[in-house]
Amino acid sequence: MSKTESGPEGSAASGLREKIAENQLTIDRLNRDLARKSNEVRIIQQISSEITSTLDLDEVLAIVLGAMERVLGFQYSMVLLKDLAQTKLRVFASRGYEPNGVGAEVALGHGVLGVVAERKRMMRIGNIGSSIAYLAGIRARMEAAGDIAPGTATPTLPGLAKGQSQLALPLLVKDRLVGVLAVESPKANAFDELDEILLTIIGNQAATAIDNASAYQMVEKLGRLKRFFSPQLAELIVTGGADDPLKTHRRDVTVVFLDLRGFTAFAETAEPEEVMAVLREYHAEMGRLILEHEGTLERFTGDGMMIFFNDPTPVADPAKRAVRMALAMRERVTPLCERWRKRGHELDLGIGIAQGYATIGAIGFEGRWDYGAIGTVTNLAARLCGEAKPSQILVSRRVASDAEDLVESEPIGPLVLKGLAKPVPAFNVVGLKG
Amino acid sequence: MGILPDEIKSAMQGVLPSHVVTCSLDGIPNASSISQVYYVDGDHVALSHQFFNKTTRNVRENPRAMVWVVSPEALASWDLEVEYDHSETEGPVFDAMDMQIEAIASMVGLKGIFKLRAADIYRVLSVTKNVEDRIRA
Repeated sequence: MSKTESGPEGSAASGLREKIAENQLTIDRLNRDLARKSNEVRIIQQISSEITSTLDLDEVLAIVLGAMERVLGFQYSMVLLKDLAQTKLRVFASRGYEPNGVGAEVALGHGVLGVVAERKRMMRIGNIGSSIAYLAGIRARMEAAGDIAPGTATPTLPGLAKGQSQLALPLLVKDRLVGVLAVESPKANAFDELDEILLTIIGNQAATAIDNASAYQMVEKLGRLKRFFSPQLAELIVTGGADDPLKTHRRDVTVVFLDLRGFTAFAETAEPEEVMAVLREYHAEMGRLILEHEGTLERFTGDGMMIFFNDPTPVADPAKRAVRMALAMRERVTPLCERWRKRGHELDLGIGIAQGYATIGAIGFEGRWDYGAIGTVTNLAARLCGEAKPSQILVSRRVASDAEDLVESEPIGPLVLKGLAKPVPAFNVVGLKG
Repeated sequence: MGILPDEIKSAMQGVLPSHVVTCSLDGIPNASSISQVYYVDGDHVALSHQFFNKTTRNVRENPRAMVWVVSPEALASWDLEVEYDHSETEGPVFDAMDMQIEAIASMVGLKGIFKLRAADIYRVLSVTKNVEDRIRA
């Protein structure tokens, strides 16, 4: 064979060797990628089994955010959940931030997180700070040219003050938005396509787990609330508003106190079983009337009860409602009293009603909470109740004037009441008008 | 593997000004800044089309253009020789660009005012890094 003929064959052979070497490099690289991927898949499987093993929302969120840092190396992460009114996102858990920003709100369509929620699509952005600076410059030029009116300050968003990169994922359950999972970095271009994939896998698991945990939490909350409120009201609180009614707040309320005259003497002389039977009958009747008039039972103390109106959900004409309930109670208790009297027990109902601002919320300690109202109004109602003679309903001036077209009442007093500096005018409710 | 290097992505993640030079069919050049150059794949970029202007008109009659992108973090710039291919008003590329613009615009009070009209897709013909340095050197 001549050299001229062997040339192309030789170069073909070396070309083949090169090709094989190149292929081997590719295979090595793929194997390395595969090893890394299978490691990641293993970790992700572990996380997803952890997530689905609990129904505690806080625990689910802690696992998800813990995984963000431990597994994926994302230092700053947060989970925002959509509020029940469906117009806002609220930070429910965060990791890496100082302060933690929990409770901060984002309107749908506002900023990276709000747009991700509104569009239900993931977003990865790597130059947030510079981008804002650039568009702020454009805005300033438009303002100077008179194209747009000078802007008002836009609300601050939760997250890093100088965040450059963000990767935000909508948490979806069958296309329904549950919330947003977001990671952030002060460095530019901190996230890439692989991060998108990893976040998506964890996010999908998290969405279902968060949804289940929220549903469970809601059922629990409902059970808890039903102890305090009428069933309709409890459901309204859980499904309706974003505000936690157990959080301390101030509201204008009508407060009703009632107790049984002669109860202490009765309890001293009667058998305990007899006392319990009377109380049970009385509580059952009063309880029914409280529910019927949408009152909130604050507490029982033996024969005494405190009920308020206009909280946790506002009601129309709380004073009238309270007076109407008091009259119904008096009417209902009269035959009970007659029956008790026949058995030798001298018992009768006294009621006091006042209206004014009270501080309301959960009072107590972990493991035993009560829904309570504190303020002069509760004291006044209690003192009026104390002054009331058998079958009397005593109300404050404000209650009397609010209910004047409903009932006849006659002024009495002014009364000197314990805990109140000045004598207080009071009114005795005689009965319904007309 | 496409013609665009991985490191160029740092210049294409956000809403940052880049520059584009086009030329009308009768030979009049035009340079303008453009708010978003988006990495589509190794061979394609998308340019934000916010207003109908000389750039959008020129490439529709003469598709060749030059794009200059800068990465402030990498302290590098690239010259891309591109050719206009088509325009998209929906789909994943349009959505991704539109979302980024809306997110930033909403933070400076320009939501609904500064918005994406279309994503113009260009094929990348050549890439040159830091051409300015070479010219100066």
